Amino acid sequence: MSAFGAMVWNGFREARRNRVTVVVGAFAAVVLLSSTLVTEVTVATFDRVLTDFGLGMMSLILVFLTIFLSSGLLSREIERRTIFLVVSKPVSRTQFLLARLAGNMLTLAVLMTAMMLIFVSQLVLFQVELNSVQFVAAAGLWFELLVLTSAGILFSSFAGPAVSAIATTGIYFAGHLANDLFDIARRLDDGAVKSFATALYYMLPNLERMNFRPQATYALPVDVSTFFSGVGYGLGWAALFTAAAIFIFERRDFR
Amino acid sequence: MTAISPDAPPIQVRGLSKTYKVGFWFNRTVRALQGLDLEVGPGQIYGLLGPNGAGKSTTIKILMNLVRPSGGTALLFGQPVDRAATRRLVGFLPENPAPYEYLTGREFVTLAGQLCGMSGHELDVRVKEVLGAVEMGAAEKLQIRRYSKGMVQRVALAQALVARPKMLILDEPTSGLDPVGRRQMRDLILAERDRGTTVLFCSHIIPDVEALCDRLAVLVGGRLVREGSVRELLSAQVPTVELVVEGLKMDQVKNLGVALESSQSLDGRVLLQVSDSDSQRLLSQVLAAGGRVNSLQAAKFSLEQLFMDALRDSGRTTSVGGEINT
Repeated sequence: MSAFGAMVWNGFREARRNRVTVVVGAFAAVVLLSSTLVTEVTVATFDRVLTDFGLGMMSLILVFLTIFLSSGLLSREIERRTIFLVVSKPVSRTQFLLARLAGNMLTLAVLMTAMMLIFVSQLVLFQVELNSVQFVAAAGLWFELLVLTSAGILFSSFAGPAVSAIATTGIYFAGHLANDLFDIARRLDDGAVKSFATALYYMLPNLERMNFRPQATYALPVDVSTFFSGVGYGLGWAALFTAAAIFIFERRDFR
Repeated sequence: MTAISPDAPPIQVRGLSKTYKVGFWFNRTVRALQGLDLEVGPGQIYGLLGPNGAGKSTTIKILMNLVRPSGGTALLFGQPVDRAATRRLVGFLPENPAPYEYLTGREFVTLAGQLCGMSGHELDVRVKEVLGAVEMGAAEKLQIRRYSKGMVQRVALAQALVARPKMLILDEPTSGLDPVGRRQMRDLILAERDRGTTVLFCSHIIPDVEALCDRLAVLVGGRLVREGSVRELLSAQVPTVELVVEGLKMDQVKNLGVALESSQSLDGRVLLQVSDSDSQRLLSQVLAAGGRVNSLQAAKFSLEQLFMDALRDSGRTTSVGGEINT
């Protein structure tokens, strides 16, 4: 295995050994309970509620986990001084950072796959029709998690885990409210405030562009160009956050 | 980019300085290193000795590219320290090493080997070999979070040795070890030197430095204050004599008019240290004043004395820390 591959695998192994996989169990329990509840309280929209709740819960759990993992990805290594024994080897800091990012995304991909299996099993069990948009929504979520992970890594390259977690949570909420911010900016009369709100919209990642959960809930098709433009947009933001993190991390002293 | 030259001196440091900016607004500075010059030749065990905050660990962290220098140059095997490939030739044991606790000892040393480009059967064999050398073979399948401090130190040494480095950089390798562990660590370092490995060894445990090092640099307050082979440095010390005197009080002894290197009261006795040339005069003065000399012996030349002399000569009022500017 190459040095980079070894670091990526180690990141995944860290999450597994620290029992991060327990979130899959939590998801299974919530999905099971919810489906029992949903069968009791819904009449006609059962399919939609089950899909909406399943994908929404998956998103909530994985976003929470992403913020928790990514906000300490670098800062915990520096605080605990585990980084000394890695970056003193013939690997560059950039390689280390990218491997940590890739390890985190591998962990999230494995967890998401396990959650999707549970989700699909639930839909099959309740004879809800499966459609491709449910999988498109899951793929979009993964790219949203990539943006959040790279934002978390950026904050963690210069701040402690608590500050990074707060800032990444801020990015998450602002990212999902970005469309509202843009609408508000359009309706404003005051030129300066309008410019400020518009500038703020462009300075924050619009996470709604990767959110295909509403379409999955209503079984509406997502055209290929919409999906790939959302994915490209997410990759662009992730690249920007990662480049900034590398810039800072390459110049940091590890005392 | 020039190739790594294994024939170049393992370490060359010229005018190295490091100033840390501290405080909430980064408006205070601590000068941890000031114009350090060092050269470590192949096959040597080179000691860095100094009190806390002397700049030893900062020097090592610059060499391992963990800290960026503020000025000067640092080369490993003729290459800049920020070149990742150079570190393939170096094994590093930091002070209070912190390996990944969720890994077993074997997994951690394997990871270290993989980071150095090793793989397959060669890596498996080498991991087994180094874990055996540090006597961790029996505990290799335990997670590191269950290790004692001494076991962590041993597995961290194993990861430093796994890629057969041409140079070892060891920061306080014996701190926290019991006497047996210290002895084994010293034997391992000597064994590595016998294989031709260069060792840069930093400690404030003087007996370890004295037992291991061929050459030595003493740092105080970020400055180099002594440098040379251990033999040269010890032979440059002024020979002194120790006397234990009874029947005289400290102030009476101090009024005898002989310059004392040191003096100390012990249970009604006075322990004096005086230069060899003044010893006969002090002896006769003590006897003339009615005192009795209990013992008289030549003081052993020691690194401890050298260290204390260096500290005194540096003119610093405290041994601890770098130079702080507010």
